[in-house]
Amino acid sequence: MAALPRRIIKETQRLMQEPVPGISAVPDDSNARYFHVIVTGPEDSPFEGGLFKLELFLPEDYPMSAPKVRFITKIYHPNIDRLGRICLDILKDKWSPALQIRTVLLSIQALLSAPNPDDPLANDVAELWKVNESEAIRNAKEWTRRYAMDN
Amino acid sequence: MATSQGNDSDMDCSDNEDCYDDYNDYYNDDNSDGEQLDMSKTDPEYFDYKCLSEEEVERLLNETVESLSNRLFISPSLAKVLLHSHEWNSNEVICKYKENPQQTLIAAKIDPPTPSKSIIVTSTYLSCPVCITTLNIDKFIKLNCTHMFCKDCWTTHFEVQIAQGISTAISCMAKDCVVLAPEDFVLKHLQHKTSIREKYQHFTFRDYVKSHPELRFCPGPNCSVIICSREIKAKRVVCDKCNTGFCFKCGCDYHAPTDCQVIKKWLTKCADDSETANYISAHTKDCPKCHICIEKNGGCNHMQCSNCKHDFCWMCLGDWKSHGSEYYECSRYRENPNIAHESAHAQAREALKKYLHYYERWENHSKSLKLEEQTLEKLRTRINKKVMSGLGTWIDWQYLFTAANLLAKCRYTLQYTYPFAYYMDTGPRKELFEYQQAQLEAEIENLSWKVERAETTDRGDLENQMDIAEKRRTTLLKDFLDV
Repeated sequence: MAALPRRIIKETQRLMQEPVPGISAVPDDSNARYFHVIVTGPEDSPFEGGLFKLELFLPEDYPMSAPKVRFITKIYHPNIDRLGRICLDILKDKWSPALQIRTVLLSIQALLSAPNPDDPLANDVAELWKVNESEAIRNAKEWTRRYAMDN
Repeated sequence: MATSQGNDSDMDCSDNEDCYDDYNDYYNDDNSDGEQLDMSKTDPEYFDYKCLSEEEVERLLNETVESLSNRLFISPSLAKVLLHSHEWNSNEVICKYKENPQQTLIAAKIDPPTPSKSIIVTSTYLSCPVCITTLNIDKFIKLNCTHMFCKDCWTTHFEVQIAQGISTAISCMAKDCVVLAPEDFVLKHLQHKTSIREKYQHFTFRDYVKSHPELRFCPGPNCSVIICSREIKAKRVVCDKCNTGFCFKCGCDYHAPTDCQVIKKWLTKCADDSETANYISAHTKDCPKCHICIEKNGGCNHMQCSNCKHDFCWMCLGDWKSHGSEYYECSRYRENPNIAHESAHAQAREALKKYLHYYERWENHSKSLKLEEQTLEKLRTRINKKVMSGLGTWIDWQYLFTAANLLAKCRYTLQYTYPFAYYMDTGPRKELFEYQQAQLEAEIENLSWKVERAETTDRGDLENQMDIAEKRRTTLLKDFLDV
C-alpha cells in the first residue's frame, strides 16, 4: 500500500490531540484509513444516552472523494437506513476536499439532533416521523435504549 | 395470415388468383415512389434537418465560440462557459453581458455570488488546505473566488471528477463554493495527461451538445451522428448512418400524431398497467366461428381461419365482411352514454375497459409491425424461389419491398393514433379522427393482405392500394398533426 498522505496523518493526529466533544474516532491498528467511531447521542434528542458505533473509511482518492461512513449500531432515524447508510449531502454531491473527518462527524452528530424526514432514506421511518412525530420519537428512544445503551 | 393448431395447410393461394392477372402496365408505372414525391412543404411530416459528424459539430460550436469571444473581447474558454449556460444563444449572452457583465458572470458561476475578500498574502509560504503541505506561494493557484489550493491538488481534483464523468460542472474545491472551473483552467492542470485530457474533452463535448437545443445525439447504438435542426419540433428525423428514426423534440421513438407529453403519459400508463398488458398480450385467440385456437403469425389483421375458412378481424373478432370497404368501425371505442349515472365501481370498470380497448389495438399494431418484419424475410425466400423457377426477374419483384416498407410506415403511424385517440375529448373532432383512423386501418389491412399474398409480378393493384393507404395516412396527419 502506498504511503499514507500527509493530510490523513495530520487529521488523525489532530483527532487524537483535540477530540471533538461527544465523538471518538480511532484508526484501526492494521489499517490507518479505517476508523472506529463512537458518537454519543446529542442531549435533548431521542438518541440521548446512547453510544452509536460507526465505521469510517477513507478511500484511495481521499480527500478528493468523500469518506465512506456507516452506522453499525441500529438506529431509528429517517435519514439512516437499516444497513446504517446515511443520507447526508456532504457525503455525496456536496463533498468538498476542504472538508475533513472532523467536519463530517460533526455533521452526523447534528443530523441526530435534527432529523430531516423530508429527505428520507428510510421511508417507513420518515413517513411515521411526518404523520405521528411523537410515536416516531418514542420508537427512536426505544431503539436507543435497546441497541445503543448496553455496551 | 393465420394458421391453426393441428392444421398446416398452406393458405397463401386461397383466394387471390383472380386479382393479379394483368401484366400489362407494370413497366410503364414509374411513379411508384409516392413517398419521394411527397417530400415537399405540403407534407405534414416534412422536416428540415441535417445529420452531422462530431467533427462538423465541433467546428460549428467553435465558430459560435469564436464569434462571441471576438464580439465581447473575452477568452474563448469564458465564451464557452457563457454559451453553455445560455443554451448556446449568442444574442442572449451578448445582450446580458453588455447590460450587466458582473451579473452575467455570477449567473454563469464564473464569479462568486458575493465578492470574496481579497486575501493579502504576506508570507512567501502557504499551507494547502487539502494536502496540508506548506509550499511556496508560486505553487498555488485560484479561480475568481480566490480560494487558494496547490496545483497538485487541483490536478488530482480534476482527475477524480473526470473519472466520475463530470466535466463542465467541475467546481472549486472549497466548501460550498459554486464557482466553476472553465475549460482552459482544467486543461492547464492536465498538461501531461493525454488520456484524461481526451476524456475531459469528450465529456465537455457531450455536455455542449446536450445543452444545445438545436442538436441531438442519434440514439442509435454506438452511433456518433448528431442531428441538427433550426426548428425544435416533434418531427421525425432519421439518422443517415444507422437509420435510426426518432422524434427530434423528445428524442424518443417517433410518435405522430400524438404529441411528446401525451405519448410519455401513455407509455408510463402502459408500463404501470403491465399486469393487464400481460394478460392481453397472450398471443392466441379462438376462432369466433369454430373456436379452434389460432396463433397470429402475420401482421395482417384480416384473418382467415385455416380450419373453417371463416374471415374475421383479429382485433374485434367480428366478421370481416363488416370491415370491407365502407363501414369499418372496430378501431372506434363506443363509450357507455349513461356512465355518469353508474356506480364508482362500474365507472372504474368502464375506465379500464376503455383503456384496454386502446391498449389492445396499440399493442396489436406494434406486434403486427414485428410480424411484418418476419413477413419480409418470408418474402425474400419466396422471391428467390420465384426467380429460380423463372417467374419474373429479381428486379421485377423489388416492388414488393417498397410495398412492405410503406406498409410498415403506415402501420407505425396507425399504432400511434391510439394513444392520441385515448386522450382525446369526446366530440365532433374525435369523431372525425376516429373516422379517418378507421379508414386508414381498413386500407392498411388491405395492403397487408395483398403484400402477404402477392403471387405475381403485377404491380398495378398493389400500387393502387399503396397509394390509397399513404394518402389516408397523410390526410390524417395533415388534419391532426399539430406541431
